[in-house]
Amino acid sequence: MKVKHSILILMAVLLSVLLSGCSGAAMRSNSWAGLTADESTAYLANGSFVYAVNLGNGSEAWRYPAEDADSKLSFFAAPALTTDGQLIIGSAGSNHSLISLDPKNGSENWRFSGAEDRWIASPLVTEDAIYAPNADGTLYVLSLDGSPLWTMSIGGTLWGQPVSDGDLVYLTSLDHHLYAIDPQNHDAPVWDVALKGAIPGAATLGPDGILYLGSFGAELEAVNSSTRKIVWNTVTDGWIWDAPALDGETLYFGDLNGYFYSIDATNGSLNWDPIQPDGPIVGSPLVMPEAIAIATESGSVYAIDRDGRIVWKQTIGGKLYGNPVLAGDLILVSPMEAGFVLAALDTDGKQVWTFTPAK
Amino acid sequence: MWDTFIVIPMTNTLLYIYSFLGQLFGTEHMFGIAIILFTILIRGITWPLTTKQLKGTQAMQELQQDKEWQAIQKKHKDNKEKLAQEQMRIYKERGISPFSSCLPTLIQFPVIIGLYQSIIRALASTPLSLLKLTRSIYPFLDISSIIPLNSHFLWMDLSRPENVKLLGYSIPTLAIIVVITSYIQSKLTMPANTSNPGDQGAAMGNMMSIYMPFLMGYFALTFASGLSIYFVTSNLLGILQYAMMGRANWQNLLPGKKS
Repeated sequence: MKVKHSILILMAVLLSVLLSGCSGAAMRSNSWAGLTADESTAYLANGSFVYAVNLGNGSEAWRYPAEDADSKLSFFAAPALTTDGQLIIGSAGSNHSLISLDPKNGSENWRFSGAEDRWIASPLVTEDAIYAPNADGTLYVLSLDGSPLWTMSIGGTLWGQPVSDGDLVYLTSLDHHLYAIDPQNHDAPVWDVALKGAIPGAATLGPDGILYLGSFGAELEAVNSSTRKIVWNTVTDGWIWDAPALDGETLYFGDLNGYFYSIDATNGSLNWDPIQPDGPIVGSPLVMPEAIAIATESGSVYAIDRDGRIVWKQTIGGKLYGNPVLAGDLILVSPMEAGFVLAALDTDGKQVWTFTPAK
Repeated sequence: MWDTFIVIPMTNTLLYIYSFLGQLFGTEHMFGIAIILFTILIRGITWPLTTKQLKGTQAMQELQQDKEWQAIQKKHKDNKEKLAQEQMRIYKERGISPFSSCLPTLIQFPVIIGLYQSIIRALASTPLSLLKLTRSIYPFLDISSIIPLNSHFLWMDLSRPENVKLLGYSIPTLAIIVVITSYIQSKLTMPANTSNPGDQGAAMGNMMSIYMPFLMGYFALTFASGLSIYFVTSNLLGILQYAMMGRANWQNLLPGKKS
């Protein structure tokens, strides 16, 4: 009897520890890093900290929080720079904070804690407002000093960064819909279009008012914002995670089965047969003057020319999920599960530096 | 290994049930229903084991009241080795396996851990977890149209711990229900007569009937409420099973009353 109950108590304690471990991981909101850069600094939202990294040599300029990690904060939405010199970063931690930092030194300007869920999406920053979609299905609109202006309940889970044509704001949702929001009318979206599947990434807005979106419906779809209709759709091999990159009249994007596509933005036809580098493509491609850069889950960065030929490949290591970012003449990528959290390549694919946070 | 044989099959079963219900009734509240049906499925699979556990527990309890066993305990109280030999002899003679009552409870633990991980994975609250979910789905399940899952069930968000705001206070109603149902279940399985003051097993049982409900309550308070739905459903089914077997001691629930 004694042995049996001792085993039960031991197992209960073990279970408690195991579940706490699971819960802890869930609460810490593990995901891949978000990356933004200006002409001199890269800003990396990577778990417990936001790092500012000097582009010249890959050294750490500052980190936020400056000292110990705050268990209630977890960052992986790409930080957004405002025109008045702020860095806006949402936390996926338990206190659901949207925080403004000074990009020069990482000091906190203000903090908004009115949302009910995590900040996965990067906010859209205009000259006079911050449009911040939250996973609670609400679009929070703040002034640049952090004062709440208005909110709109959209529905679903909002993970994609909004885009705007200066008139309407367009927002994607995991509930399979694209929503159009009129900032002058805060009651409800002015229109929405149902797509084939969940849309975890953002939409890409063309100069002619066409929105291009990929989804878990394994299709890239083009929506005319004037007629509110889907004008064409292109079936893909796998699910599409993030927004396509628009280069003139060509769209580039990858899918979760590892195919890379180039299609004609006017009608959705394939420019060449999709190529399959070495792993699933989650992030959006980076359009450069000479080539298109993509990052694969297998930890490689590829430069592919506009005819679909691989120009170079660089193995970074770890897993690459986020978008490659161009900063001056550097290509920045942030790997998961590598010995470093940020790598800089030149436009020929040679590694210039890597950044590992000091403990 | 753990993922392949426990978490992924559980996640797919949950998603399949959710998908099936979603097609019939829409997705609102259906993940909670899927967890309840999944729990019924698990309890159904482990029903024979639980029955064996109950019978084993009953046999052990009856042994504590057995005159022969009490005499042996008295006779060999200073010779533990001999007492252990006699105990094994009696177990053998009466077909009692001392761990048969323990095994089904132990089986619950990987189920609880696996289910918790499945719920967290299926609800996919971060990009990485959603990506992981896309890799966990069996090819024959066409669920692209139902991702992401609707995590609302009644007043709860199944991906988070539950509480209800009442007069400015947060009341963890589901955790309270978990504690109550766990307490009832453990009380119902306690021996009807624990008059033997030297019965350490009964004393431990009493302690467990207090300790375990609060441990379950702590889990319910801390972890995703989807897990609490599993606890409550599982407890209610356990109570039902004891009642159907005619072994539930309802009088144990009354304070100060023992049959």
